[in-house]
Amino acid sequence: MEISRDAYRAIEDIVGPEFITDDPAFLDSYAFEWLAELVRPNRSHYMPRPWAVVMPASTAEVQGVTRVCNKYGIKIKPISTGWYHWAAPMKDNDPTIQLDLRRMNRILDIDEKNRFAIVEPYVICAQLQAEVMKLGLNINIIGAGSSTSIVASACAYFGGGPNSYSMGNNSDNLLGQEWVTPAGEIIRTGSLSSGCGWFCSEGPGPSVRGITRGVLGSRGGLGTYTKCAIKLNHWPGQKVLEPKGPPPGYRLEIPENFRVYTIGAPDWDAWVNCYHAIYDNGIGYVFHRQFNLAGADLAAALWLTYIDPKKTLNDVETASKDPAIQKVAEEGRISFQLILAGNSMESIKLQDKVLDAILAQTGCYKVARFCEPDMAEFTNMYMQRLGHKHCNFIWVGGYMGSWMQAGTPDYVRNYIPTAIKGFERDQKSHLLVECGGDATMGCGSTIGGGGYFGLEQFVSYDPNDNDSIDACIKHMEDAIKDAISVGVPAGKEALYLQIGWSDERIWDALSKIPQQFILNFQTKIKDAFDPNYLGDRNYQWIPPGWGQKADAK
Amino acid sequence: MALETYRADAMRCSRCAYCKWVPLDLMKSWRFSKGCPSIEFGHFHSYSAGGRLVTALSLMDGRSEVTEKVKDSVFKCNLCGSCDVTCKMCRYDMEPLEAMKELRFHLVEQGHTLPQVEPVIDGLRRELNMLGKPRAERGDWAAKLNVKNLVKEQAEFVFHAGCRYSFDGDLGDAARTSVRILQQAGVDFGIMGEAENCCGGRAYGMGYKAEFETRRDSTLIAWQRAGVKTVITPCSDCYHTFKRLYPPASGCDIKVVHMVEFLDQLLGEGKLKFTKPVPMTVTYHDPCHLGRQGEEYVAWNGKEKKIFGQAVCYDPPRPRYNGAFGIYDPPRRVLQAIPGLKLVEMERNREAAWCCGAGGGAREAYPEFSNWTASERIEEACSTGAEAIVSACPWCERNFLDATAGGKRKLAVYDVMQLVEKAL
Repeated sequence: MEISRDAYRAIEDIVGPEFITDDPAFLDSYAFEWLAELVRPNRSHYMPRPWAVVMPASTAEVQGVTRVCNKYGIKIKPISTGWYHWAAPMKDNDPTIQLDLRRMNRILDIDEKNRFAIVEPYVICAQLQAEVMKLGLNINIIGAGSSTSIVASACAYFGGGPNSYSMGNNSDNLLGQEWVTPAGEIIRTGSLSSGCGWFCSEGPGPSVRGITRGVLGSRGGLGTYTKCAIKLNHWPGQKVLEPKGPPPGYRLEIPENFRVYTIGAPDWDAWVNCYHAIYDNGIGYVFHRQFNLAGADLAAALWLTYIDPKKTLNDVETASKDPAIQKVAEEGRISFQLILAGNSMESIKLQDKVLDAILAQTGCYKVARFCEPDMAEFTNMYMQRLGHKHCNFIWVGGYMGSWMQAGTPDYVRNYIPTAIKGFERDQKSHLLVECGGDATMGCGSTIGGGGYFGLEQFVSYDPNDNDSIDACIKHMEDAIKDAISVGVPAGKEALYLQIGWSDERIWDALSKIPQQFILNFQTKIKDAFDPNYLGDRNYQWIPPGWGQKADAK
Repeated sequence: MALETYRADAMRCSRCAYCKWVPLDLMKSWRFSKGCPSIEFGHFHSYSAGGRLVTALSLMDGRSEVTEKVKDSVFKCNLCGSCDVTCKMCRYDMEPLEAMKELRFHLVEQGHTLPQVEPVIDGLRRELNMLGKPRAERGDWAAKLNVKNLVKEQAEFVFHAGCRYSFDGDLGDAARTSVRILQQAGVDFGIMGEAENCCGGRAYGMGYKAEFETRRDSTLIAWQRAGVKTVITPCSDCYHTFKRLYPPASGCDIKVVHMVEFLDQLLGEGKLKFTKPVPMTVTYHDPCHLGRQGEEYVAWNGKEKKIFGQAVCYDPPRPRYNGAFGIYDPPRRVLQAIPGLKLVEMERNREAAWCCGAGGGAREAYPEFSNWTASERIEEACSTGAEAIVSACPWCERNFLDATAGGKRKLAVYDVMQLVEKAL
């Protein structure tokens, strides 16, 4: 859609001509997004094109651009590392500025004594982790891996990861933040608001953190977060990670005060009992069900191939038929990765002893092949840095997560059989990667208390094959029905699918959820902070009266 | 190959943006965490491997056209291959570096060339070298060395100095030292002298595939006439061209050896000993074309097949170039064998090395970008406390010399051969 050149020039004056573009090919590079083909007409890989891409270098520039957008009625979609289909503009013919924050890439401070770091949006987890480890500190790296923005996960999305078990979600770890509202105001939250520094997240007044993010965050739908402080945690490992070996399966030496295990369970009941016991006994540093992303049937074959730099996926096919590897696959069918870290040798010995007792009590066991030095060192590298997370896409470049409803271990155990059965059913089309019905993976815990977590079913499809795309969409729709059939709300697939829905369809769906007053409250927040409605619908709201209309129907 | 060959790569790109960083496992600091010079300089996503895949797709589908900005994003890249290494951390079905080269061929074939590159290519066509120097002077560096001229004689080995060592007097005696070592080792070798051709590799990188093929064919014919079985070169650009770009040509079965490999072999066999100490702390810069792009060529003519329903693999298995088996250790062993010399490592090394900035035609087309890329590497070298940065490629050395000119950073620049010469 044609927009006033005045608006373009006004933004150009703020950021400089080299940091704004409306070249169609450049715009396409932002419109092209993972998952787009699952929600866009004609299976297009493109989300709606932004009207222009703009790269501000400072909070002041973000504010200036935002004010121009308000003046001209242009929507704003900020991104940091820019991944997921919801990172793009939501609607065609709805002029939207893509605010690419990659120039705001500094670590502003690491407060070693008070254990927090202040970062800009384009600082990724791996960068900050590398710096704070030198000080004996660590960060929670989210499940999507260390290439992701800390500001994005802390301020605008869920923020759970393998370290959340011991460190909490990044939504919990968020301290002070700086927020440019869609109206162009700069709001500093928590202790920042009273000039006391970045150490506390709450306030001013009622929790502004709650307003800006909630459990899932606004995903770029309610203004731009330009800085945040993130809590740092204790790290008793190496000051600098020195991986060894050729790519891709780098290995990290396991210090004497660490243990790296893959724990197997004979059944889901034992898995849950083991989980509870580990949690109750307070052992462990990293707790994640990681390797199963390849599917329980193929995980052993894939990872034992992956760590050999001379092998390729062709070798996985061979390995999957090897009886010795099939045995490992069975041992690891219901498994998870656990890393113990001791502050002393006494501590690690005690944790080891406690773990052995838990395993004896629950019938769980260490998956021997995965605990051998090569796999254990690879696991250590993988889990500490989460630098291989895009192995999510290893089979064919497309993956979509279904399920992932979060709850207690018992709650998750109850839906897992349905999730497995449904995925087995949908794989029979041969249009999804046939990796067994159980490709569920997820964090051991997504908050620091209670063992609340979820498991996501990793569904791999070929984005270059329309039939495979269609099969994935069908699986998403099936998964919603499956979930409802066992009394569980729709999972992550519904979140993905909604990106392709019209506003009206979303509002109809929202109008059916319980506790409508929440959406009414969010609408008031929207009105207050985004009076010209320049943010997108990833911050959920509902027009006044829409719920009543739905009730009347 | 046509651009369409890489459609699947584009469609299957997950936009993870790994291509912008060093492999995440290897990240040791904020300062030296970036892998791709192009995106750091150009900023927009189009300046990354992932972005260029989308550009290719967008052009193929007629969603956009080649503009000056598109040309800038396609060509303002060193083709260093850092993206290729990081992409393949998690993927077996992507070839981003090859796709980016193909995109260049596509643009050049359609006439979308860079005016600043045209004189360089004209020089190549006219004088058969990338520096536009008179071809008659190409063999002057070897005067008085008493080397066989393979235009007139036969030998199993040919020493190929390359354009830069043949004409750039600032780079010292690397070529002459190489020749002396070959002579002392009793190798039956010669040079093509005035008749030496540019290998064509840099033209290939600039998108001029036809010019590359002309140079390749001419070189191979000359070598065949001279009975050459093995080429030895101190230039990593030429090394990569001979090793990886020549073999697809029919009848090419030339063995390719870099001088550092030859030295390493002599040291290993006890046929070479360094006698003079070189008391110096140095850091080694892995040339992209010797390191991550220096892996052995494996012929492949296969097709995609699906296993487990939809997982992609290839029939027969496709060779995997991900930097795992580049030439990293031989130059280090040579340097470590020099008495008194201390070798320290930069954070980004081996397959994760930051580029010198000279490749992909960037030096010729975008001097500011090229110089900035080199300056970044100089900063990294200085952070190690080294007195000198050492490489095994004259193009790297030239770019580093230019980046350190003016004395802002006091860091010496050497070729491995120059230090070897000091130690002999």
